[in-house]
Amino acid sequence: MVDYAIEIGNLVKRFGSLTAVNGVGLKIKKGEIFGLLGPNGAGKSTTINIILGLLAPTSGKIYVNGIDMLKEPEKAKGQIGIVTQETVVEPELTAEDNLRIFGRLYQIPNNELQKDIDFALRLADLEGFRKAYAGTFSGGMKRRLETAKALMHTPQIILLDEPTTGLDVQNRTKIWELLRRINKEQGVTILMTTQYLEEADQLCDRIAIIDHGKLIALGTPTELRQKIGMSTIVEVTADRDLLAKISQIFKKVGLEPKVLSNSVVAPAGTKSVEKVERILKLLSASRINAHNVSMHEPTIDDVFLKLTGSSARDDTGQYKDSRSMMFGRGR
Amino acid sequence: MGLVNDTYTLFLREMLIFKKNLGVNLVRSMIFPILFILLLGAFGSSPKNVPVALVNYDNGLTGLQFINLLQAGSSIKVISSTTQQTAMGLLSQGSVSAVIVIPSGFSSAQLPKPDIYVYLDNSQPQSASVVNLVVGQVAAKLGAQLASPSVASDPASASVPVVTNYAYGAASNYESFVVGGIVIMVAAFGSVFSAGFTVLSDRELGNLKAFLTTPINKFAILLSKIGYGTLQSLLSAYIGLAIGLALGATVAAGVIGVIELMWIIFLVGLSFGSLAIALAMRAKQLQTYALIGQSIVMPAAFLGGAFVPVSLLPPLLQAVTVANPLTYAVNAVRDIMIKGALPVPDLVLDSAVLLIFSGLMLALAFMFFKNTSEQLS
Repeated sequence: MVDYAIEIGNLVKRFGSLTAVNGVGLKIKKGEIFGLLGPNGAGKSTTINIILGLLAPTSGKIYVNGIDMLKEPEKAKGQIGIVTQETVVEPELTAEDNLRIFGRLYQIPNNELQKDIDFALRLADLEGFRKAYAGTFSGGMKRRLETAKALMHTPQIILLDEPTTGLDVQNRTKIWELLRRINKEQGVTILMTTQYLEEADQLCDRIAIIDHGKLIALGTPTELRQKIGMSTIVEVTADRDLLAKISQIFKKVGLEPKVLSNSVVAPAGTKSVEKVERILKLLSASRINAHNVSMHEPTIDDVFLKLTGSSARDDTGQYKDSRSMMFGRGR
Repeated sequence: MGLVNDTYTLFLREMLIFKKNLGVNLVRSMIFPILFILLLGAFGSSPKNVPVALVNYDNGLTGLQFINLLQAGSSIKVISSTTQQTAMGLLSQGSVSAVIVIPSGFSSAQLPKPDIYVYLDNSQPQSASVVNLVVGQVAAKLGAQLASPSVASDPASASVPVVTNYAYGAASNYESFVVGGIVIMVAAFGSVFSAGFTVLSDRELGNLKAFLTTPINKFAILLSKIGYGTLQSLLSAYIGLAIGLALGATVAAGVIGVIELMWIIFLVGLSFGSLAIALAMRAKQLQTYALIGQSIVMPAAFLGGAFVPVSLLPPLLQAVTVANPLTYAVNAVRDIMIKGALPVPDLVLDSAVLLIFSGLMLALAFMFFKNTSEQLS
């Protein structure tokens, strides 16, 4: 019996002179929900692609359920169900045929195929649409069909690359419920990347943060918050042109501020209430009209910000270049 | 076993998508053959009703005999003129393509008969040559009847008896010639535009990447696409043939010939399907791909003798045709459609050339496809 669903050892991937992944090691336990976070261009996608067998690493080892991906890629790929970032369903095929083709590619025997298709359609809540062409589906329906497609061959490991990006709240909640259910009921191991940090916070048993191709933090969400020793967070939201002045006020009361796109944040440290009172006084003395002043427990967002120096979500849509303009950039 | 099974699964997928778009696919397969047969068929067939002004100064029996023979075929339309001057006027206006003058006393004269004069307008060489040919034939025929009137424009025809027989293709026509070429051209187009396009659209939609994450041999993807392209080739070619037959082409080898064609079309589909995959892996963009595909297939079909016999091409291009695999395909199809049989040595040569070309293209496709997952991620 193997203890780890996915085991990565000292993974390195170079593209020419660029080192995308630089010695990442991970051991993902069976039955856990594991979140892989990192700013865009941090090496997250490359790591995922290597686990999927799409990319060959420059060096390092990958085992999926104890099977060596580099030696037996076809066998290892059969262990994983995958939901990619882009919704991949064939618009010119019916929901049922979409599932049938992938069921066959995942080597489901013919006599079990129809049963598995029915199971997947039920799982995706698409039983009434089995003969409808996927091209007529809404974004959320396509997403659910794709997720069901990844689950139909009952893999013990599921890999989701930003599964809820671009979904509305209702569909996101449906996907979350689905993931929790298959994790609890069938003990399926889930490895997911996400840019919604609250999603990782809520769903994941453990989180790894990757930056510049290296693993910079690993632990449960609670551990991560404690590990970096962060106290209550003070946040002042205001119009962007006021943020520099607010930042000055933070420094006056002895805080180390970080300026985000529409707010200034800082860990409050000790005597947090007293510091917030002083900030309020200074704000009104300088006639600065802030939208909101708040104190909250550190979120994974704050952890992420402190560790990588960038906010996960703000980097969306930019690649590499965005890293050089992390703070105070106009949008 | 796995490769065969996975290839079948992916081929099945192509067929399901094909079925969904059946109408569009069929119409697309019909456009090219219809267009080309109508355009080229009309252009290439022997001209009819070429207008000729005829001046008869003779008014005798032999002269009328000559005129009747001229009108017997429908190639020439005779317009009577009273004087040579008016006739020449019509020629200079371009309303007629030639003027024929039968001299006075033609009928009553003893052999050798006085010369019949033909004035040609060679600014339209096709029409002029038709007139020349017909007058020559008529003179020969009349000569056989009377012994020999001579025609000034074509003295050879009257003096030397020539017996012409069609060794092959007696029942053939230009439609059969052109359809033979079109069948091969649409076969090549069929696989280039189906196999290549599905690769590009699957790449665009992320399907290619999704297939690669499943536990299959990745070459199953390649083989299924080539299979689909080959099938589309067969479909396009047979639709082209059917349209050709409806518009007047014939297959001299009959039903067996129609079946024999399948092997040649299959090889064209296989080789051009493989070429299509190799191109699609490189071209990446639909527009680029369409441009490259077109600029390969069209010249290849033209230089393969699809529309113009290879023997009529300039020497430099003739040399190129030897290295063009479509030359051999077109040859084989013409043998079947016009000559009525594909001789074994020809079959061996044509098949060998097409098989070698298919092998090379298949190798190229495999080579370009090998690193595809690295390119996609």
